[in-house]
Amino acid sequence: METQSLNHKNLYYPPGGILMWIVIFLELFTFGIALVAMILYSKDEPEVFHTSRLLLNSTFGAINTLFLITSGFLMAKSVAFFKEKNTAKTSLYLKLTMLGGVLFLLLKSVEYYGKIDAGLTMGYNTFFSFYWMLTLFHVIHVVVGLVILISIYFGIKKENNSTKLEDVEASAAFWHMCDLIWLLLFPVIYLIF
Amino acid sequence: MKNAVFLKVLIVLIVLTIVSAIFSNSNLEFTSTIILILSIFKFVGVSFYFMELRKAHVFWKASVLIFLFLFSVVSLNILW
Repeated sequence: METQSLNHKNLYYPPGGILMWIVIFLELFTFGIALVAMILYSKDEPEVFHTSRLLLNSTFGAINTLFLITSGFLMAKSVAFFKEKNTAKTSLYLKLTMLGGVLFLLLKSVEYYGKIDAGLTMGYNTFFSFYWMLTLFHVIHVVVGLVILISIYFGIKKENNSTKLEDVEASAAFWHMCDLIWLLLFPVIYLIF
Repeated sequence: MKNAVFLKVLIVLIVLTIVSAIFSNSNLEFTSTIILILSIFKFVGVSFYFMELRKAHVFWKASVLIFLFLFSVVSLNILW
C-alpha cells in the first residue's frame, strides 16, 4: 500500500510542524503556570478549595476526559488513513473526531449551566475564579480546534483536493494539544483538592 | 499494525482515567500524588503515541519530558 510520510527525525520537522510545537509549548507553559498558581492558592484557603471542588461533578469531568481521548484516538487514525491516501476513511474518522469535540462542548455546557444556575460564577470564590478562567480558556481552544478540523474536512472533501499531509498533521497536533491541556486540568481542578 | 497500537493506547488511557476517578474518592494519604502521576502517564500516551512524538527528534521528546518533570515536581512540592 502506498503511503505518504515526512522525516520527523529532523529537528525542524516534528509531527505537526515546528511552529505548531512552539504554540503547543507556549500553551502548556501558560496552563501549567496557572495550575501551579491554583495549587499555591489552595494552600492559603484549603477549606474553600476542598468544599468548592466537591461542588464540581467529577463524573462529568471523567466523561469529558473519555470524550477527548477517544476523539484524539480517532484523529490519530484519521491521520494514518490520510497517509494511506484513503480519503473516505480520513473524512469519516475526521467527522467522528469532531463529534467527540462536540460532545465535550455539550457536556461542558450542561456543567456550566448548572454552575451558573447555582450562582457559582467567576466571582464566587478563588477556586471558581480559577475554574472558570482555565476551563473557559480551554473551551475556546476546543472551539478553535473544531474550526480547524472543519476546514481540513472540507479541504479533503473537495474534488481537486490540495490538502497536504503537513496541514492534516498540524491540525491534528492542535487537536491533541486540547487533549494534553485537559489531561492537566482535569486532575488538578476536579480531583486533587 | 499502527491502528492496533493506537487502540491499545486508547484502552490504557481509558483505564487510567477510570482509576484516577476511583482514587479521587479514596482517603489515602498519597491520593493527589497518585492522581497527578497517572495524569502524567496519560499525557505521555497522548503525546508520544497519538501525536507520534516517539518518531520525532530527541529534542522534542526531551522537551515534553522536561515540561512534565518541572510541572510534576513543582506541583507535588507545593501539595506536600
